[in-house]
Amino acid sequence: MTRKQRRLTLIGAAGATLAIALGLVLWAMSDTIVFFRAPSQVVSEGVAPGVRFRLGGLVEAGSVERHGDQVTTFAVGDGGGTVTVRYRGLLPDLFREGQGVVTEGRLDATGLFVADTVLARHDENYMPREVADALKENGLWQHDGPAVRPAAARDLPITTPTQ
Amino acid sequence: MLIEAGHFALALALGLSVVQFLVPIWGARTNDATLMSVGPPAAIGVFALILFSFGVLSFAYATSDFSLANVVANSHSQKPFVYKLTGVWGNHEGSMLLWILILALFGALVAVARNAVPPKLRANTIAMQGLVTIAFLLFLLITSNPFERISPAPFEGQDLNPFLQDPGLAIHPPLLYIGYVGFSITFAFAMAALIEGKIDAVWARAVRPWTLTAWGFLTLGIAMGSYWAYYELGWGGWWFWDPVENASLMPWLAGTALIHSTVVMEKRDALKVWTILLAILTFSLSLLGTFLVRSGVLTSVHAFAVDPDRGLFILGILVFFIGGSLALFAWRAPMLKQGGIFAPVSREGALVLNNLFISTACATVFIGTLYPLALESLTGAKISVGAPFFNATFLPIAVPLLLLLPFGQVIAWKRGDVAGITSRLYVAAGLAILATVAVYAVTLGGPALAPLGIGLGVFLVLGAFNEVATRAWQSGSGGVALAAKRALGLPRSTWGTVLAHAGMGVTVVGVAATAWSVERIVSMNPGDVQTIAGYEARLEGVFPRTLHNYNEDVARFTLLDDGREVAQLETMKRIYPARGMSTTEAGLETFGFSQVYISFGEIQPDGSLGVRLYYKPWILLIWIGSVIMALGAALALTDRRYRVGAPVRAKGGPRGSGSSTRRPAATSAVPAE
Amino acid sequence: MTIWILFALMTGAAVLAVLVPLSRRKAAETADAAESERLFYEDQIAEIERDHGRGLITAEEMRAAKAEAARRLIRATSQASAPQETVDEPALRRRRAASAVALSSVPLLALAVYGAYGSPHLPAQPLSARLEQTIDPRNLDIAEAVARIETHLAQDPDDGRGWDVLGPVYMRQGRFEDAARAWANALRLLGPDPARLANLGEALVNAEGGVVKARAREAFEQALGLDENHPKARFYLAQAAEQEGDVAGARAAYEEIVRRSPPNAPWLDVVGERLVAVGGAPIQPRAPFATAPGSEAGAALAALPEEDRLAAIGGMVEGLAARLKEDGGSAEEWVRLLRSYAVLGDRDRAQVALAEAREALAGDPAAVATLDAAAAEMGLGGAAPRQ
Repeated sequence: MTRKQRRLTLIGAAGATLAIALGLVLWAMSDTIVFFRAPSQVVSEGVAPGVRFRLGGLVEAGSVERHGDQVTTFAVGDGGGTVTVRYRGLLPDLFREGQGVVTEGRLDATGLFVADTVLARHDENYMPREVADALKENGLWQHDGPAVRPAAARDLPITTPTQ
Repeated sequence: MLIEAGHFALALALGLSVVQFLVPIWGARTNDATLMSVGPPAAIGVFALILFSFGVLSFAYATSDFSLANVVANSHSQKPFVYKLTGVWGNHEGSMLLWILILALFGALVAVARNAVPPKLRANTIAMQGLVTIAFLLFLLITSNPFERISPAPFEGQDLNPFLQDPGLAIHPPLLYIGYVGFSITFAFAMAALIEGKIDAVWARAVRPWTLTAWGFLTLGIAMGSYWAYYELGWGGWWFWDPVENASLMPWLAGTALIHSTVVMEKRDALKVWTILLAILTFSLSLLGTFLVRSGVLTSVHAFAVDPDRGLFILGILVFFIGGSLALFAWRAPMLKQGGIFAPVSREGALVLNNLFISTACATVFIGTLYPLALESLTGAKISVGAPFFNATFLPIAVPLLLLLPFGQVIAWKRGDVAGITSRLYVAAGLAILATVAVYAVTLGGPALAPLGIGLGVFLVLGAFNEVATRAWQSGSGGVALAAKRALGLPRSTWGTVLAHAGMGVTVVGVAATAWSVERIVSMNPGDVQTIAGYEARLEGVFPRTLHNYNEDVARFTLLDDGREVAQLETMKRIYPARGMSTTEAGLETFGFSQVYISFGEIQPDGSLGVRLYYKPWILLIWIGSVIMALGAALALTDRRYRVGAPVRAKGGPRGSGSSTRRPAATSAVPAE
Repeated sequence: MTIWILFALMTGAAVLAVLVPLSRRKAAETADAAESERLFYEDQIAEIERDHGRGLITAEEMRAAKAEAARRLIRATSQASAPQETVDEPALRRRRAASAVALSSVPLLALAVYGAYGSPHLPAQPLSARLEQTIDPRNLDIAEAVARIETHLAQDPDDGRGWDVLGPVYMRQGRFEDAARAWANALRLLGPDPARLANLGEALVNAEGGVVKARAREAFEQALGLDENHPKARFYLAQAAEQEGDVAGARAAYEEIVRRSPPNAPWLDVVGERLVAVGGAPIQPRAPFATAPGSEAGAALAALPEEDRLAAIGGMVEGLAARLKEDGGSAEEWVRLLRSYAVLGDRDRAQVALAEAREALAGDPAAVATLDAAAAEMGLGGAAPRQ
């Protein structure tokens, strides 16, 4: 091979790899990315059943019901709306009524949000970022506790999904 | 007085690091040996001062000196002594001080290292390290001062975040930081080379031990962090593609590419521009990781807006160093003399391919980590990019890379031939395929892709040792004893390569085996028995316990195998009253490389317990493989070449020379296996 | 002052580290650039020869590889220029400038930064040393007291009295879970007592955000088992009924508290509010009474007719006097006895009691001081007899 051919081979290989990577990224972006929605958005805008998204808000006081076999239902609200969530599995340590929560799953045909993941942050006054923002918009959240506190040490993974 | 002396030492270190930056770089420009000789004592002095300061802060923690705001915020008089000490770096200010301590340590190490670094390169490197130290010392003193005092002092602290009260914390951040910050020295070397306008094989060799050190520690640090998350978070996962984890993975990937590209540079005097760029990018990614973790931007975009000092300061440092270095690079790189271009099928061709794949993989992680942040700050839309994204982008790039790895190891420098490669690899490949088929047969009906993963891991391990085997049995001469002697006589850097690649294979096997892990979520009452992967777990009872600074509910299990008791397990839910936080401590029992993992949720109203049971086959291989990788780096580091300053007659040969020159002899050789 | 001397010494050492190499006539170790590169390539050539010696490469390959290394060596050494060791005028000027930078920037920067952020007047304050300092009760603030008791309890967790003291402090600080733990420990160590049980219950209720749960209810019921009149226990149990939606039960329970309480008991306001909330009749206001408001016994006394009340008070004072004479007591108790006599107008017996108190408390100067202060205030018998 000549020098030129070699250079072309190299550039070709690099271009091909990058093109494949870019393709993968774009494809994955359209397919795997999950949007965050607040209960008020779900109520006002509506979300088609079967679309996967994250729902975050406050666990409404008195709404947590346990049905046995690790199934729990609770209502998530943000002042502008409420969505009932059904979840099977162990709830995270800091799951409490009146506390912020983020769940991931899909709406079923009846408007029940079937979650397969419940995320909670391990901090006494943690409010998931999206939830805090959503609540602020609805005027329910003035407390800047978690916001002024810089991230502690490393080092914690941001959220702990439970399944 | 002692506390204030520690504080003053930091201020003094700032002054001294200004000298460390200015004088040597001036000396290098004017070619003045005397000025250049100021660098080493200044670097050592800065290190000594920061070490003293760090010692004072540790002392304040050990003695619960609540006149320091930092101690009040992160310690508690009743905390176990070990966690008082590890609390020093379990918070923002202390961990930044540790960061800077390691930064200064590397500067001092370059100052005392006796390896043959040309004096100008060394002077410029020390100066650049001094510049980085200045920036971070300013950041520490102005925005995150660990020596801020409170008067009158309170009598009790607010305790350390309970998640950080764990042996994992004792070792994870220091390891990780040595890795992160270690790349600062390769960055300083790259800057020095650009300033001097001279980059060659000598530079590559001078940088290599530092890259290896940083990479080895980063590997250990990431592995420790992963294991810590595995047992502390209580749901059995070991990698979450969390931004904080990605922040450490990106410099690791770039560093891996850098290790490989410096080999090409040392052997073939090529890939110079790319290597310099990689050195800059690796440290830039370390800085980016520091920014992501330290600015609070991950916790909340609002944190950034509410308390912008720290975030903006680090962002400033980030922009200054990344922008400055890239500008210097753009100005100087065209002046560098380009090395030769080379054949696609050759060791250097394979290493280029390696670099291409790794940097592409790194880029996908970068996009997945930063895209949500960028999107939110630009449009306000909130998205989450999780494991599915990375599985779809990172894995398709990583798998071919790993598949090609053993080929790269047997390929010759300058020009290789496909026939020769296959003749030396078919045994390893055959065995790997055999392993795949065997695993598939045994686990028939199980996950379909996992046996392929196992096969890939086996191929990596065999391919790694293939190099040793062929070189030991070359020319079919001698018996087993001679072969063994030859194998042991191979340079340590060769063994280092073998170990690092084999370790990768071991990790791949461990990752693939997670496909067979079993998970059960059940309700249990005391006395109940549940089976998990052939073991029976009996819940003996739940009882409260008060220890040190926490109260806990303990669930005790007995693990039975065929009715025979094999282990007692305890899993805990701890409540730390000082912070009102709770943590889960998983109960782990190890069988070989596999683990039974039990954690519990809450106690139900009817008194039953929500229990999560896992069986994790071969899970430990993930971390054992990482440790082997780091050992490989350590072994390569002890190679004579890096230890001896001015080798008159080196005994060990660099890894490449053997294989490059082995070529003709090996074509006639019968593969050993 | 010493701290500034220390700072000066540290600064001196730092500056010296830089000045010493600058003042040297010749740099200590000047690795020659060309030399180090020559060594590197010689090393590479040696490796190639070694590989040839082992039969790893052919002679032809060795020659080619050596030629390539040699070419690079020549290129490298032709570029390199050795650092100069000259002591000519510009070099000397450079050294002077560098020394000036070191001499000025190090101390100035250090002082400027430390001056902005440091607190040179504050000593180190390790906790153990602070706890060992002699206690001056006048300066003892709550936090310090709590720290001392906690430290003490960490060493001796079986001291029930310590837990008893901590309970109310925790309550006041809003640390309800800690308070519950403290009272639970006190109960375990000192045995059941209606007040303690009710306090435990109260702490548990507060920790649950006001909801009476099973453990708290158990505590209240135990307290009532020991003292069926205990108003706190009754009140929270009534609350529990209210929270469960048992309005009738709650009303009955609140009415029962009113019935069992002396008129003007301080808790009646709250109980009355709740009673109205669950649909009961408001409590009839009764005539206020001056004696000992807020104390249960005082309220009971207030209900008695005038002569009976005086007799009852007299009886209580006698009882207190007898007990103090027999078993001794704290300065406060003696003072209370003195005040009682003073209120009853019985100065003679007050004087006798004062003498007895001085005798009983002779070993405790602080108590005697308290006693004397109170006596002086009441205009009783002057200074203590000196012994």
